[in-house]
Amino acid sequence: MRTMNSSKLFLGIAALLVMPLVVSAQDGESHIGKLSGHTGAGKQLYFRYCWGCHGYRGDGNGENAPYLNILPRNFVAATFKCRSTPTGTLPTDADLYTSLGRGFNNSNMPSWIELTDQNRADLVAFIKTFSPRWKTDKAGDLIKVPAEPKLTVESIKHGGELFQKLECWKCHGQEGRGDGPSASTLTDSNDQPIRPYNFAAGSRFKCGSTNEDLYKIFITGLDGTPMPSFADVIKPEEAWDLVHFLRTLQVTHKSPELALWGSTKEGAEQIASRRITGTPTGSGIKQ
Amino acid sequence: MVEFWGGARMMRAKLAYIVGLAALAACAVMVHAGPSGGTVSGKVTYEGTPAKQKPIDMSKEPSCAKQHTTPITTETVVTGPGNALDNVVVYVSAGAADEGAPSQAAKFEQKGCQYIPHVLAFQVNQTLEIANADQTSHNIHPLPKVNREWNKSQPPGSAPIIDKYDKPEFIPVKCNIHPWMHGNFAVLKNSHYAVTEGDGGFSLPNLPPGKYTITAWHESYGDQSQDVTISGSEPKIVNFVFKAKPY
Amino acid sequence: MHRMAPRLRAQRAVFLTSGVSFALLFLALFFTSDPPASALPPPGASIRAIPAFARKYGMPCSSCHEAWPMLSPFGQAFKDNGYQLGNDRDAPIFQQPAYWPVTFRMTPNWHRENENRGAVDGPAGPSGNEASITTHGFDWSGLDFHTGGTLAKNVSFYVLPSSDNTGAFHFETVFARLDNLAGSSWLNFKLGKFELDNLLSEKRILTLTNVAGVYTNYHFQPPTEGGGALPFVFGIGDNQVGMELMGHSKNDRTRYSAALLSSNDGSPGLPAGRSYDAYFTASQAFQIGSLGLQRIGAFAYLGQAPTYFQFTQTSTTTVGTDTAGNPVTQTSTVGVPGTGIGNKSFYRAGLIAQIYIKKYDLTAMYFHSADSPFLGTGTAANTPLPAGAQKPIWNGALFESHYMPNPQLMLLQRVELVRMSQQALPVVPGTPYTPGVSVPTSDFGNEEVYTFGWRYYPFISSRAGFAFHNEYAFSHQVGTSPVTGRNLDFSSLLVGFDFAF
Repeated sequence: MRTMNSSKLFLGIAALLVMPLVVSAQDGESHIGKLSGHTGAGKQLYFRYCWGCHGYRGDGNGENAPYLNILPRNFVAATFKCRSTPTGTLPTDADLYTSLGRGFNNSNMPSWIELTDQNRADLVAFIKTFSPRWKTDKAGDLIKVPAEPKLTVESIKHGGELFQKLECWKCHGQEGRGDGPSASTLTDSNDQPIRPYNFAAGSRFKCGSTNEDLYKIFITGLDGTPMPSFADVIKPEEAWDLVHFLRTLQVTHKSPELALWGSTKEGAEQIASRRITGTPTGSGIKQ
Repeated sequence: MVEFWGGARMMRAKLAYIVGLAALAACAVMVHAGPSGGTVSGKVTYEGTPAKQKPIDMSKEPSCAKQHTTPITTETVVTGPGNALDNVVVYVSAGAADEGAPSQAAKFEQKGCQYIPHVLAFQVNQTLEIANADQTSHNIHPLPKVNREWNKSQPPGSAPIIDKYDKPEFIPVKCNIHPWMHGNFAVLKNSHYAVTEGDGGFSLPNLPPGKYTITAWHESYGDQSQDVTISGSEPKIVNFVFKAKPY
Repeated sequence: MHRMAPRLRAQRAVFLTSGVSFALLFLALFFTSDPPASALPPPGASIRAIPAFARKYGMPCSSCHEAWPMLSPFGQAFKDNGYQLGNDRDAPIFQQPAYWPVTFRMTPNWHRENENRGAVDGPAGPSGNEASITTHGFDWSGLDFHTGGTLAKNVSFYVLPSSDNTGAFHFETVFARLDNLAGSSWLNFKLGKFELDNLLSEKRILTLTNVAGVYTNYHFQPPTEGGGALPFVFGIGDNQVGMELMGHSKNDRTRYSAALLSSNDGSPGLPAGRSYDAYFTASQAFQIGSLGLQRIGAFAYLGQAPTYFQFTQTSTTTVGTDTAGNPVTQTSTVGVPGTGIGNKSFYRAGLIAQIYIKKYDLTAMYFHSADSPFLGTGTAANTPLPAGAQKPIWNGALFESHYMPNPQLMLLQRVELVRMSQQALPVVPGTPYTPGVSVPTSDFGNEEVYTFGWRYYPFISSRAGFAFHNEYAFSHQVGTSPVTGRNLDFSSLLVGFDFAF
């Protein structure tokens, strides 16, 4: 019989088994909760689903990019709109994962919720390989979102005062319709024209649809766009007041804030003056 | 006494005296060469006709408009007497060691809906302090390609924004609310830089002996470089001439 | 940084070899004479792959299709949403006015067909002999002319005129759908002619030959059926006409549908009776680690079909004159369309599993079907059944697998089995099949179909699609050869360019 040392054999086999783990750890990974994504699998998925818009090099220059109104994200520049981290910092893996699953409203980026969790985690891992910044910088610290305080009329009114003081209306307009004095000259960081969000038109924001999403939008700012971060100039409690007020600008979306505001005399008058009523054919509009 | 300084002793003393003097002179020379070193100076000028600067309409921001009795113009090309070209960053791009950041902050101000100065040069990791002296909100939006891009709102009366950059780069700065506002950050690796103004002159003192590349950068006309060798403390003259474009 | 060179080289290699093999085939048959008139054309089965959607949304085919026309989970969800991505940009107003949601698909090809026992004239008399009939030559498929998408937010539509390869058109699909009723993805209402919500969609079948261009189990009827004033023809692969309530979870993991359909197998003009069928499906998908999405489901079609007409009309026409100069008349009696009665029931039910293991996927189906004895023997309900007639009952199985090393290449195979578990007529061994009397064996009509092939997509873009299609299929049925009642085999070989714009 061979005189092989069995413990050496064991070690050898163990080493072989461990090797793939070691290799994949160096491969680049993403971590979202208990999920781990890998770039190898993500690369296959990217070149099936994503390259048409985001391009072979991940720089947003896919074959369809010239025909898209909102340009696809340039992963090489690593500037992302929807984050939970301060302006100028990288998003967390969870931010990218959530963005993939949610899609971006009013853009050509669909919701990829039909892909499995593992698929989306793998895609996040691969997307991070496009920019060298992921190797040198870490994701920013998560911003702290305090618990939402009770919704009151005072909160809405105070939010309205903040809207004036912080001069949000300069871009978003007094009714939040995206028609402020600076709106027409806005350009994003690629010098492409861009419009501010029109609160009266919808219920979903670029980065979600909940109050917490709205809170994060103006605290972190949408990097790459004219929307700045207000983290240094607004206190966390006041920020929630602003959220409550902004919901009353969304006159086509039934929210508790809009209902509460509409129950006051001042609020009801304001909403009535702004509200679009009637059917798309115009049959319900008073002549 | 006469007995003490006679003959061989006198010779040795003279020798010691000469050696001491020489050492002192050498020290003096060394001390002299350290801080005072060589200086590169010169002028930046242009030839041809630069583009006309257009007046800025600030009517959308009345609080700024009323600060300027005559409307200010754009600042893509700012000139001085004698075809001088202002707002040119002249710096040592090669040959000098990278330096740590100085402790004082580089100050950038928004006043009258204008960036003051139009071009701010400072060092890697030096504190940048941005203040808003106007009665309107501004958002500070530097647009780097190498450094991180951030965008912060600064309402009137709020504290200055403090930040820094860790990589050298020329970074355009804009305000999205007021689209006519344009500025530049020049983030440089060492302390040998100057921004021309007035007559277009610049001076880069305190350069140790060695070979250097001096680069002049202008936001509209690009950059030019020239090599210069400093061997002692005599000043070297390096002039830059940019070709102006009428558009 | 993604390096294109190795992939491009591999791409070119595959394209060249397939091009060379096709070129050789082409050269070898360059001087073939015209194919005989009996050469059967490839099926004009309408097939769904719609570059118009890719153009509308700017996404490549590979996003919605594993390999078009087969849908990926993302594409299935897009369809279930009413051809909407759900980003508030689906309504036509967001498109360029010049965008027109139209796609056409066609497959020019070379194919070879063989039937081992076709009825031909010979010593035994007219159509009294059997011969092996082989034909081959260049040909083309029918044309599908798709138009579909949104009429407004959450109102979608689809119209599909489809022609055979002579240009004779019919409407394969015509429907409008109200999507996401009450803001819920669980309520979608469709009205018109449409494909049943089969989890394995025949309209997106990846095989194109005569033999395998449809799913055998989706159309199988025992050989004893047919005939009579109202021949019973039905397949769950045929598009049916009616209304459907369909719902799905937001991520499309859970799906259900319930449809109410007219019992005329999707024919226009109310030609048959006044009865209605029902169809139900439900499925649940779940992910298993990193393998991919797995889905299991069940379906049941509960139908009925009329067997004779309530009213008939007799008309007499003059067809000529006899030798004495008197007019010769011909009398014909036809049923009044739409008055079919004597409805007898049938059902088709089964289970499906779709398994994804990384680049390999397998679909397995089990079918259980039964028809009323009247339908099984072609007997009108107002006449007595033949002696010993029973419900024909049969079971079926389908296994289809695909392997996609990359989005541009798909290898596929399929096996289908149909096994009669109960014949409609008594089994009398040693005698030939006598319609309305007896069948020779208990496995009379059993069928097997084997297919394999591959599709290569030289480019994947968001404007148009092209596939180099190669396929071989073989079918075998027990006891149905037309003269001697022996086994009947068909084989098809097809090489073609399958393209859609």
